Amino acid sequence: MPHSKAITRALLLIAISLYTAFSAGPFAWTAMLSFRTTSEISKAPYAWPETFRWQKYVEAWTGSNYDTYFVNSMVITVLAVLVTTVVGAMAAHCLARYRFRGNRLIYFIIFSTIIFPPQITIIALFQTLVDYGLYNSRVGLILVYVSVQLPLTVFLLEGFFARLPQDLFDAARMDGYSDAEIFWKITVPIGMPAIVTTVILNTVHIWNEFLYAVVLISDESKRTLPLGIQKFMGDQLEDIGMIATGMMIAVIPIVIVYAIFSEKLIQGMTAGAVK
Amino acid sequence: MAVVKLNGLSKRYAATAAPAVDNADLTIEDGEFMVFLGPSGCGKSTTLRMIAGLESITGGELTIDGARMNEVPAKDRDIAMVFQSYALYPHMTVFENLAFGLRRRGFDKAEIEQRVTKAAATLGLSEYLDRKPHALSGGQRQRVALGRAIVRNPKVFLLDEPLSNLDAALRVSTRAELIRQHRQLGTTMIYVTHDQIEAMTMGTRICIMNGGRIVQVGKPLEVYENPADTFVARFLGSPGMNLVPSTVIRSGGGYAVKFGGTDLVIPMPDITDDDVILGIRPEDISEDASEGSVSFQGNVDTVEPLGADTLLLFRVAEHDAVLTARVDRSFQAFPGQSVTLHINSPGIRLFDSRTKAALMRTEPEDA
Repeated sequence: MPHSKAITRALLLIAISLYTAFSAGPFAWTAMLSFRTTSEISKAPYAWPETFRWQKYVEAWTGSNYDTYFVNSMVITVLAVLVTTVVGAMAAHCLARYRFRGNRLIYFIIFSTIIFPPQITIIALFQTLVDYGLYNSRVGLILVYVSVQLPLTVFLLEGFFARLPQDLFDAARMDGYSDAEIFWKITVPIGMPAIVTTVILNTVHIWNEFLYAVVLISDESKRTLPLGIQKFMGDQLEDIGMIATGMMIAVIPIVIVYAIFSEKLIQGMTAGAVK
Repeated sequence: MAVVKLNGLSKRYAATAAPAVDNADLTIEDGEFMVFLGPSGCGKSTTLRMIAGLESITGGELTIDGARMNEVPAKDRDIAMVFQSYALYPHMTVFENLAFGLRRRGFDKAEIEQRVTKAAATLGLSEYLDRKPHALSGGQRQRVALGRAIVRNPKVFLLDEPLSNLDAALRVSTRAELIRQHRQLGTTMIYVTHDQIEAMTMGTRICIMNGGRIVQVGKPLEVYENPADTFVARFLGSPGMNLVPSTVIRSGGGYAVKFGGTDLVIPMPDITDDDVILGIRPEDISEDASEGSVSFQGNVDTVEPLGADTLLLFRVAEHDAVLTARVDRSFQAFPGQSVTLHINSPGIRLFDSRTKAALMRTEPEDA
């Protein structure tokens, strides 16, 4: 029996190693490419860097306007995620906790917007932003991101909040707290694993978002990182080395966010699965 | 300290549905330990939640110390509640849980500290004040829930099946603890349970509910001895009262009821219907004859030794039902055996076969 157990364990380990290589391989390869020039890459695409060209990061950051793109991405992502989280959590709290006429209808309408692909809504969004003077503005893009990310946020949080025992909220009411105070003092702290989950998902999604940004932003000074990476893709030539460097600059903040909150993310994902 | 009065209190969730609580009239005296007892879905928790202010009142009036409470929010009723699930805030320590309600009510830091420390000492929680609820045992959590109510020093305590999540041994000790706390605090307490042992041992009075209605209110032993109807007779007692359809016959100058081939001569008021339901508690059927007891023959169905005593399940002639007797543990019997048993006649009760109401009982005290 111990023999078969060891074989099972070894097979499991091989499977996990293969999966890890499959998912982390492209990231590691891009990281290697980011230290090499395009001509070096052309000669040997999978080779280890002969020289680690750190100056490529400096060059991308200063010479290719990455500092501006980075700040834009940071501001837009932080504000959009903040608004999405607060509004989404409040909406989810209401839908999960209060019985009122049309509760499920509102929930269905919010959730049903998830099914529309961005290509369908983008023309209408473009026209709406132009009409309200929000085209080519960071505020306009933030509002679009909030509206796009809100349904999934409400869906995830409502599912989590609905599982919190009603007695907790009744106890807080008996303790003298108002509905708003109960949201901030009970729902938010207890629902933190789920909230962090949505924060990470929204951050990753908004940080990497390209389609809305490319259509709704035209000014160089308002562009986000994904648009900046596109700059290295010419009609005739693609600067693969610089694209990889740009991608690494873009992806590092996400890796840091994930590393910090991964434990909470797992808690949020598995909440309710085990007692 | 408060008098809680329910005047025709009702709760209806939808216009067409049957009311969850139907026209409940009850006065809970100052300092009383009132127990709402009934099966699941009888309306006892809904009544408690209406008193708490967690459920709207759709009919009637609720007053506390004469002041109408129908429209007063839960937080302004000066009521504390202990929940079945304890409802401890999982992200707060025991201290923070106890202090949460006090902070909202604007007590200064020193006062909060003093009250929490005192309540924690009373409940044996002093060494757990820095722990989060998940690091406590069930009994400790239950005490924190009670402490959260005690620190507020409210007019009324509401307790919604607070012992139901505890194991049997802990339930017994916590029951005693609650009785002690009530004696010390002297505050009006309203306690909801479906466990009749809790009701019998803890309540100053018990209020038995069924189908949203209050069926009977009284001191535990009074209700036990004089059930208002067959529901109370069956519900109270473990096992409940034996109920056997029977017929009244004229015997000499009085009445008798037929039972197991025997005529039980009993005092009773004039009755109009000859069909009655005979009620006998298992402990009023004995293997030993006593003065005034009536003998009959029973056929043993099952023997259930409980340790302290034995339950004898048996059948009697002319009746389909299996009846129960509580006999001494030394009594030996086996299934199929014919045994002679004796009914202690003062323990016999009669109920109307149509209305199921008691025909023979002492007058209950006013609700």
